[in-house]
Amino acid sequence: MGGETNVESGNRLKILHYGNYGEPQGLDPHVVTGVPEHHIVSALFEGLVQKNPYTLEVEPAAAKSWDVSADGRVYTFKLREDARWSNGDPVTAEDFAWSWWRALQPALGSQYVFMYFPIKNAERFFNGEIEDFDKVGIKALDQHTLRVELNNPTPYFLQLLDHYSLFPVHPPTIKKYGEPHESYTRWTRPENIVSNGPFVLEEWRLFKYLSVRKNELYWDAARVRLNGIRFYPIDKQTTEERMFRAGQLHSTEDIPIDRIPWYRANRPDLIKIAPYVGSYLYRVNTRREALADVRVRQALAMSIDRETLINTVLNGIFTPAYAVVPDGLLGYQPPKLFDYNPDKARQLLAQAGYPNGEGFPGFELQYNSHEQHRKIAIAVQQMWNKNLNISVQLQNKDWKVYLDDETTGNYDVSRGGWIGDYVDPNTFLDMWTSESGVNRTGFANARYDDLVLQQAPRAASHEQRLELFREAETILMENMPILPIYTYSSKHLVHPSVQGMPSNYMDYKNYRYVDLQAAQDEN
Amino acid sequence: MNEPALMAEQGTSLWTDAWLRLRNNRLAVASLIVLLLLVFVCLITPWIAPYGYEEQNLELGATPPSAEHWLGTDVYGRDMLTRVLYGGRVSLMVGFIATSVALLIGVLWGAVAGYVGGRTDAWMMRLVDILYALPFIIFIILLMVVFGRSILLLFLAIGAVEWLTMARIVRGQVLGIRRQEYIEAAVAMGLPTWTILRRHVIPNTLGPVIVYATLTIPQVMLLEAFLSFLGLGIQPPQSSWGLLISYGAETMEEFPWLLVFPGLALAITLFALNFLGDGLRDALDPKASKD
Repeated sequence: MGGETNVESGNRLKILHYGNYGEPQGLDPHVVTGVPEHHIVSALFEGLVQKNPYTLEVEPAAAKSWDVSADGRVYTFKLREDARWSNGDPVTAEDFAWSWWRALQPALGSQYVFMYFPIKNAERFFNGEIEDFDKVGIKALDQHTLRVELNNPTPYFLQLLDHYSLFPVHPPTIKKYGEPHESYTRWTRPENIVSNGPFVLEEWRLFKYLSVRKNELYWDAARVRLNGIRFYPIDKQTTEERMFRAGQLHSTEDIPIDRIPWYRANRPDLIKIAPYVGSYLYRVNTRREALADVRVRQALAMSIDRETLINTVLNGIFTPAYAVVPDGLLGYQPPKLFDYNPDKARQLLAQAGYPNGEGFPGFELQYNSHEQHRKIAIAVQQMWNKNLNISVQLQNKDWKVYLDDETTGNYDVSRGGWIGDYVDPNTFLDMWTSESGVNRTGFANARYDDLVLQQAPRAASHEQRLELFREAETILMENMPILPIYTYSSKHLVHPSVQGMPSNYMDYKNYRYVDLQAAQDEN
Repeated sequence: MNEPALMAEQGTSLWTDAWLRLRNNRLAVASLIVLLLLVFVCLITPWIAPYGYEEQNLELGATPPSAEHWLGTDVYGRDMLTRVLYGGRVSLMVGFIATSVALLIGVLWGAVAGYVGGRTDAWMMRLVDILYALPFIIFIILLMVVFGRSILLLFLAIGAVEWLTMARIVRGQVLGIRRQEYIEAAVAMGLPTWTILRRHVIPNTLGPVIVYATLTIPQVMLLEAFLSFLGLGIQPPQSSWGLLISYGAETMEEFPWLLVFPGLALAITLFALNFLGDGLRDALDPKASKD
């Protein structure tokens, strides 16, 4: 017998070999933030609800059913009696209440704490304005009933429950290995961790792989087809693609752009490209003297030829964007205030005092080191140079330096991206409010804040809410603190034996649905 | 018979000797010509390049070599011939400047340490050891952070870390040379130390130094590519051979010419440098017999 590839042995043993982008920071659902962590944590833990990967509709998970009050502000969840932690303890409403109390501890420093803020008094509790957790709208009525009270009717609240920051953790395990508000304690080690999802942690070998195996105590274990998943931390697209070709991976996190034409021509069955609820954009630091003038920013936005950039350098896999919210999100139509127009851009630059780019001081465009960001930056740099006659320096930075410089405002123009945390325009708009931690552009507009934070949540109808969002986004795009470039597409290579991992708008995977079926003609 | 004229044999300098010997080494001469040609072409690139190095033609994209673009184009439709030529300017410059800096510091440091000896030697070489112990990438990054980013500074910074090995090699050589009779003779004649170093010690170390220098040049070219990759060196749209190669390697299956041509340019340069270094070592050996 020759050597068996991972895919062959995986198909035989029902183990999914999964390219997972990067080494996870950790496994604590209330602490981690990245996409690789998300993939692992959602195999290990389960929230009140989950989503159907085909329709993205919310399905029962730890909660078997729920009632919503007529005013849309009170949710009463009925938990499953048969839901168990991986050590056999029942999953109770108190576990959820305790977990959410933990996530709201300021000392824990959860980056996703704002996901809780639709819940009544959660933000005030987090800010220390109220001490008593009983005043927060989270109550375990009995062992299997959880009542959640919201500030406002929040149409996307159920979706939030499937986000890992609202997953439950096992209170006795956390307490055993440290204080509740301590992050990165030993509780997430394979020998210590207790979880409630379809899989349990088996082994974690740094920079090699992290493996999980089926949780036999999971309430829906009969439905879970896989016996395990191996997550490989590969952050280089070309390496990942070679491993896939060598039969070492069932699926990849990405595809190198220049490789796509080959697959399209030769193996179209292997590539899965789908629109993805994310925006690729450049943040402009409006506090910089040269960039403070809105006309300069508009000129920059108008002189990027998005269509050509995408159709040539990016092989046509993305959609050009002229606003920040992706098109058609819950029927939302983003405003389109400008187009590629070099003549208009030159006029605007001249009006700002730099006719034909003369006297313009130039600026630096920073991006985190990555093949694709570099490719786009080189093309955009040249478009600005050609259309506006201004010189732009490129500066690539390591992820942490890049993030640090962006957060502290030490940049001129910085590459950015935002993946929606739930399907709702709000996830793309509340980030540009003046107090938001991810705004980072110096943009502050009272009317915008009012529309997004005060008016939209209280809108009478879905249509009115979208109208308010549209007005807010129009203000945002008039001020242009960001230059939208394109709407993301998710792109994966997936082996034909993988079933139940469809492409969807959120690039969402639900491992309960995944199965491995070796094709008949394969040996 | 006339008295033979008391003509002293015309003394030939070390350099004349070396040149005479080098001339007979065909490979070395060919390499020298190739190198000079490369340097010349790179020097006049701005006037002869068929396109601008940053000039994009996105519609065209990556195309294999053709009549319009002899070495093909990259994904932005930029002419590869132009980019290889411009890349050569940066790579050759970094190679020669950084190596010269390393050569200058290293040879002087090593010669002084080896010749003076004693406590001075111990202190000077301990300093070299300490600098060796510093991770050199961190050292370069520190220099760049403190003094800001500029191409010239990058060259100097690389040179400033590459001299250490040179200093050790030279010191080792000098320790041997110092005990030779001709040095004792020179000392007995009362020549100043500096003159002895300059006229007798350093020329005798040139053989290994030149060989090592030809090895240093490719090393610094690759170091430059590495630093640029980290965002500390050259930034797009400028390029160097090292960067062109590392970008070309990303797409070598789709567009092999993006890797092959800069790779070829670098390989030819390195071969030529190596052959020339070999030739120079033989030619510059003052111990070799005079023709």
